Amino acid sequence: MRVSTNSVYELGVASILRQQEGLLKTQQQVSTGRRILTPADDPVAAARALDVTQAESLNTQYAENRNDAATSLGLAESVLQAVTSLVHDVRTVALTAGNPILIDRDRASLATGLRGRLDELIGLANSVDGAGEHLFSGYQGRTKPFAQTAAGVQYSGDQGQRLIQASASRQIAVSDSGTDVFERIKNGNGVFVATAAAANSGSGVISPGTVVTPASLTGHDYQITFSVAAGAVTYNVVDTTTATTLSTANPYTSGNSISFDGLQLEIQGTPADGDQFTVAPSTNQSLFRTLSDLIAVVAAPLSGQNGSAKLINGLNAALLNLDHGLDNILGIRAAIGTRLQEVDALQSAGDGLAVQYQQTLSQLQDVDYAKAIATLNQQQVYLEAAQKSFVKVSGLSLFEYI
Amino acid sequence: MGNGIFGIGISGLNAAQAGLLTTGHNISNAATPGYNRQQIVESSNRPHLTGSGYLGQGVQVSTVRRVYSEFLAGQVSQAQTQSSQLDSYYSQIRLLNNMLGDPSAGLSPTLQSFFNATQDVAADPASVPSRQVLLGSAQSLATRFQELNQRFTEFRDGVNSQIVGSVTEINSLAQQIANLNQSIALVGDANSRQPANDLLDQRDALVAELGRVINIAVVRQSDGTFNVFVGNGQALVLGALTLTLDTMASSADPAKTVVGYVAGGNTIPIPESTLQGGSLGGVLAFRSGTLDSAQNALGRVAIGLAQTFNDQHRLGQDLNGAIGGDFFGVAVPGVISVAGNNPASSVAASISNAGALTTSDYQFDFDGTNYTLTRLSDNTSVSSTVLPSGAAPLSLDGISITAATINASESFVIQPTRNGARDITVTINDTGKIAAAAPIRTAAALTNSGSATISAGSVNSPPPVDIDLQQAVTIAFHVPYDGQFDVTGAGAGLPANNQAYTAGADISFHGWTLQISGSPAAGDTFTIGPNSNGASDNRNALLLGSLQIQNTLADGTTTYQSAYGQLVSQVGNKTRELEVTSKAQANLVAQTEQAQQSVSGVNLDEEAANLLRYQQAYQAAGKVIQIANMLFDTLLNLDR
Repeated sequence: MRVSTNSVYELGVASILRQQEGLLKTQQQVSTGRRILTPADDPVAAARALDVTQAESLNTQYAENRNDAATSLGLAESVLQAVTSLVHDVRTVALTAGNPILIDRDRASLATGLRGRLDELIGLANSVDGAGEHLFSGYQGRTKPFAQTAAGVQYSGDQGQRLIQASASRQIAVSDSGTDVFERIKNGNGVFVATAAAANSGSGVISPGTVVTPASLTGHDYQITFSVAAGAVTYNVVDTTTATTLSTANPYTSGNSISFDGLQLEIQGTPADGDQFTVAPSTNQSLFRTLSDLIAVVAAPLSGQNGSAKLINGLNAALLNLDHGLDNILGIRAAIGTRLQEVDALQSAGDGLAVQYQQTLSQLQDVDYAKAIATLNQQQVYLEAAQKSFVKVSGLSLFEYI
Repeated sequence: MGNGIFGIGISGLNAAQAGLLTTGHNISNAATPGYNRQQIVESSNRPHLTGSGYLGQGVQVSTVRRVYSEFLAGQVSQAQTQSSQLDSYYSQIRLLNNMLGDPSAGLSPTLQSFFNATQDVAADPASVPSRQVLLGSAQSLATRFQELNQRFTEFRDGVNSQIVGSVTEINSLAQQIANLNQSIALVGDANSRQPANDLLDQRDALVAELGRVINIAVVRQSDGTFNVFVGNGQALVLGALTLTLDTMASSADPAKTVVGYVAGGNTIPIPESTLQGGSLGGVLAFRSGTLDSAQNALGRVAIGLAQTFNDQHRLGQDLNGAIGGDFFGVAVPGVISVAGNNPASSVAASISNAGALTTSDYQFDFDGTNYTLTRLSDNTSVSSTVLPSGAAPLSLDGISITAATINASESFVIQPTRNGARDITVTINDTGKIAAAAPIRTAAALTNSGSATISAGSVNSPPPVDIDLQQAVTIAFHVPYDGQFDVTGAGAGLPANNQAYTAGADISFHGWTLQISGSPAAGDTFTIGPNSNGASDNRNALLLGSLQIQNTLADGTTTYQSAYGQLVSQVGNKTRELEVTSKAQANLVAQTEQAQQSVSGVNLDEEAANLLRYQQAYQAAGKVIQIANMLFDTLLNLDR
């Protein structure tokens, strides 16, 4: 075919330019380390890289959130640990106060110590985090949750629980309300409370009692009234909710069990005529109330036989309530521990994900250096060949010879 | 006889000289664009009849011919028109592609840091510094949207000025072609009937140049002139006459410059679909095929983000205890009254569902009976015979026409998303106004003896919140327990007594929804009330943060990030497609040009050979004269 001189130049230059373009692109890929220089280089991978970048950034954010969660939970855990040992101490004091050797003055000084522990407990319940927000006030971080009032320790927070986004699909609770930690604690044995009337003059001491037949429980209030006639001690049981008498003139033997409506309890000692004992369904009683009640029992001076019975009944009730309080705190601590464990598990899952995201991103947009450098060398050879051959071809001219 | 030999010799000299002239002309024009090589066409002179037959009378140059193939030239110009359209589209979209692809300049980094800041507020809602960071990153997100939009506006301005430039070029080329038409007609009319080769080359070059700007149709006339047409048959050149094109703002969108032809002092727009090919066609295709939809896509992300974030934010409660307001300022749909409408006509359009928006523009018109709203990307439409109103809006894709004053056969163009990125703003500047908390909280009474628990409760969407939302409400189970409860409190619909209890079922009053689960006992009560002092409540912030990974846009199929990713991949795909097709087209141009050049192009070696050939012919013809002279001398010396 006939070739015009223009074509020789145009084709030669075009092929050199094409080689240069390719070479420059490979050079840019090598120098930036990125295979995708613009979305046009691989539109699908470019869009996917954007998505993966967001997922990676979210994952980093979730890791921060988890750190926050771990901090908050750790703080609550350490406060509750202090509360636990405080309750243990108080329990020891309550046991000590029951020692018959002690005289009123000894118990008065024990009571003074307990008052200090109550203040300490309120202080712990009002703990703040690093940012000055209260740990146990629900949503109202800036409100001091517990305060001593004439009506005892009052809670002014709410029952809100703060959650944190710990992973894309999991929100973890990072706070517990003061209600759940310190207030929602059943008194008595958890089902019913057996108490001795304050006006009792005998030495009867009532046990916490147990549930024998849960199906027979009624949830009613009951009254056990003693009468002493001619040396014979008998008692009547009355359901005060429905005002029905369940049994009358039961003979009393100290320590024998008294059973009715699915529950069973024992009374020890010698009740006097007219002494009364009541059984009522359990209600929630705050740890503060339990401690205040204990202080009142310990601080009261003893007088006579019934005084000792009163002390023992009071201490028994307090110990029972302290145990329930302790159970509640330990339950909350167990929940916190579980959450911390979950945070840890999510953290290592998140670390794994981060590596995966990095790998995916790298596969999507990073250059394969071995391949790129091989290509670079190849393109360099082609460019040199194009240049040299162009010089040769364009140098050939008939005019050289005429 | 001697005379004859001299004559023949001189005719040879003249022919060789003409050959040398033409060869020299070819050599000097080897690099002239549009030049076609020329050849002399020699023929023998009419012979002289003698008794011994016909004796030759030498040579004459009958014409100078340009070596030109109309077929090949047509192929080149066709390929060139296509190629310059693709090139011009590609060079435009490449800039857009680079802008979107830059990892540090795109939308993604700011979008991510905005939501990270939202999560930080959720982690520590009472902290003023983290709230401050959220406001700051919201501001930079809005600014990034505006910056990207600014680039789009620059592209649009660039397109407009390129259109103006192209039209000027078209007019100037048309004028030059008309002038050459005139010259060629004059020369062609001369008695010689010899072709005006160089004028023809010049005109062909101009026509090819015009073809690189816009696709044209050329019709050759019997007098050798060309008529040139553009678009769907608008004459540009008629012999020596030219008609001019002009630019004007589009009647359907003042921001668009369109091409029109001037007739009788008026400029009448030429439909864009008929203006194809050439760099002008490429720019127009870039604008209608990529720029509009890309800018709309960005606007859609901005509007969708702002609207859905606002909707959630307005369900929350700020640090001062007030119900949350709008977080972002959202663009309103652009409504353009098409030229020719009565100035009193107007249309009110609003976005009723940001999640349903598309990237298309819309048209609203009235034909005297039906009010029609049409999606311009695929001409899907809804219509109604009732005048749209606030109570009965005409809606399509989340856009509602809520009022219209319109005469028959008038129309309006609605651009719901065009200015979305331009008009996004942050309306909150007080950290206390970030609604991180939920407006209500729930509680189970301490006296409850059952094991039932109450959920934290959520506020029903969409906003605005119920007027009674924060009224104190009590849920009390009947005594004795019969599986029913009474709901009491102030506000509409209460008290509601004897509600049947199903564990975990939704209980909804006053615009909130909550669940009670477990076994309640007789007399158990639960309360719902305002979340006063809820500084550490992060429930709404958590919901705001989760918007990042929710499919909120395009009818609930895509996240903000993916919607932006779609824009990037759409532009990337188109760029790649154009990169490939424009390269292929460039190859086609190179091949057809090579074919055309192989016929018409100058080969210097060939010309060098021709120089030698004609030089030798000249020398030989000179020799003939010398021989003739010697013959004459022979005669003169006969008597010696």
